[in-house]
Amino acid sequence: MNVVISYDISEDKRRTKIHNILKSYGQWVQYSIFECQLNDTQYAKLRSRLNKLIKSDTDSIRFYFLCACCFGKVERIGGEPVRDDTIFFAECADG
Amino acid sequence: MGTVYITQDDAFIGKIDERLNVRFDKKTILDIPLLKIDGVVVLGRATVSPAVISELLQRHITLTFLTDTGRYLGHLQPEVTKNIFVRKAQWQAAGESPQAIHLVQGFVRGKLKNYRHLLLRRQRETTDLDLSKNITRIEQAIAPIDATHNIDSLRGLEGAGSAAYFGCFNEIIRVMEFEFTHRNRRPPKDPVNSLLSFGYALLRHDVQGAVNIVGFDPYLGYLHCERYGRPSLALDLMEEFRPIVVDAVVLSALNKRLLTPTDFVTEPLSGAVSLIPEARKTFLKLYQQKKLSEFKHPVLGRKCTYQEAFELQARLMSKYLMGETEKYPPLVLK
Repeated sequence: MNVVISYDISEDKRRTKIHNILKSYGQWVQYSIFECQLNDTQYAKLRSRLNKLIKSDTDSIRFYFLCACCFGKVERIGGEPVRDDTIFFAECADG
Repeated sequence: MGTVYITQDDAFIGKIDERLNVRFDKKTILDIPLLKIDGVVVLGRATVSPAVISELLQRHITLTFLTDTGRYLGHLQPEVTKNIFVRKAQWQAAGESPQAIHLVQGFVRGKLKNYRHLLLRRQRETTDLDLSKNITRIEQAIAPIDATHNIDSLRGLEGAGSAAYFGCFNEIIRVMEFEFTHRNRRPPKDPVNSLLSFGYALLRHDVQGAVNIVGFDPYLGYLHCERYGRPSLALDLMEEFRPIVVDAVVLSALNKRLLTPTDFVTEPLSGAVSLIPEARKTFLKLYQQKKLSEFKHPVLGRKCTYQEAFELQARLMSKYLMGETEKYPPLVLK
């Protein structure tokens, strides 16, 4: 499934923690917005991890689901390019 | 899902939250969620943190070590699957058993037929090329396969077919700058051999992963006899994939001039030829593209990628060994 996750967290420390968890599940595309492609298990795990961490009276996290068809139609101008998930290279940029 | 290639020497591979974090010179150079990864390949030297090792094992992600020239060193393998019946069937077929002979016939037939198709296609594409002599020789090696019920003779047929194929390999390289005389390795002494060896090392990483997933013992093969530390079964299953994956990538890299002679360096003493880091990246990308390209599987009749085909062929092999099917069909692509 394709999920767009946005969050609004009142406290800096907690926000950093949430940000760090989300980075493990998808790509950071804008301030407090992530795009994730997950299966059911991964989504459930992410949700439960976030659920444990936030204070629901002051914080909010939203999950917007996009069908594969709609996800293909997303338009993007500027900003982070979508990461290519088929191959990763670890090398130093200047050498 | 993707493969991570660590090409930076002396990198540190660590884990942050559920991500693989690669650092060099105190800077993060790669930070990728572990759930996007299906394999890690280290080229050269790297430090791997204990946390990463246990995480990779738990997630069944293989970690392979190659030298910076691409020679295979070893790998960290997740637990062998608990499916004892597959391994039992594999061991029962060891030696000169009818099943082993059938499988070897399949591997050799698959490889040689793919060699033949590759040459035929090249001949069709370029009119001034005459490969008919070599193609006939490969056909002569294919013809007696089904009637040969002796593994050593089958090895002989494979050798004859391969010799015919590599005998005209130089002619299907359509650029002047590269010359191929014969296949040499350990170390490869010219650019073409160096690319082939590098490609086969990468292919082996993938095929061995597939063989492990299905639950085989990779060290007991049929075509390749047992030798200490040699994953014979992975090498067996690799045969049919050599021409359609690696050779095709090497040929297109050379013929499309994506790699040039300046991309190679020769080590003075041993004469070993290897790629420079930038060109190595190009080649890895090409290999990855090939692996993820789709084709129609002739036996299953549906689309799949080469990456999936490694596992599919291993599953077909296990079905045959467990007696669920009559035949093992090698992957032959037209």
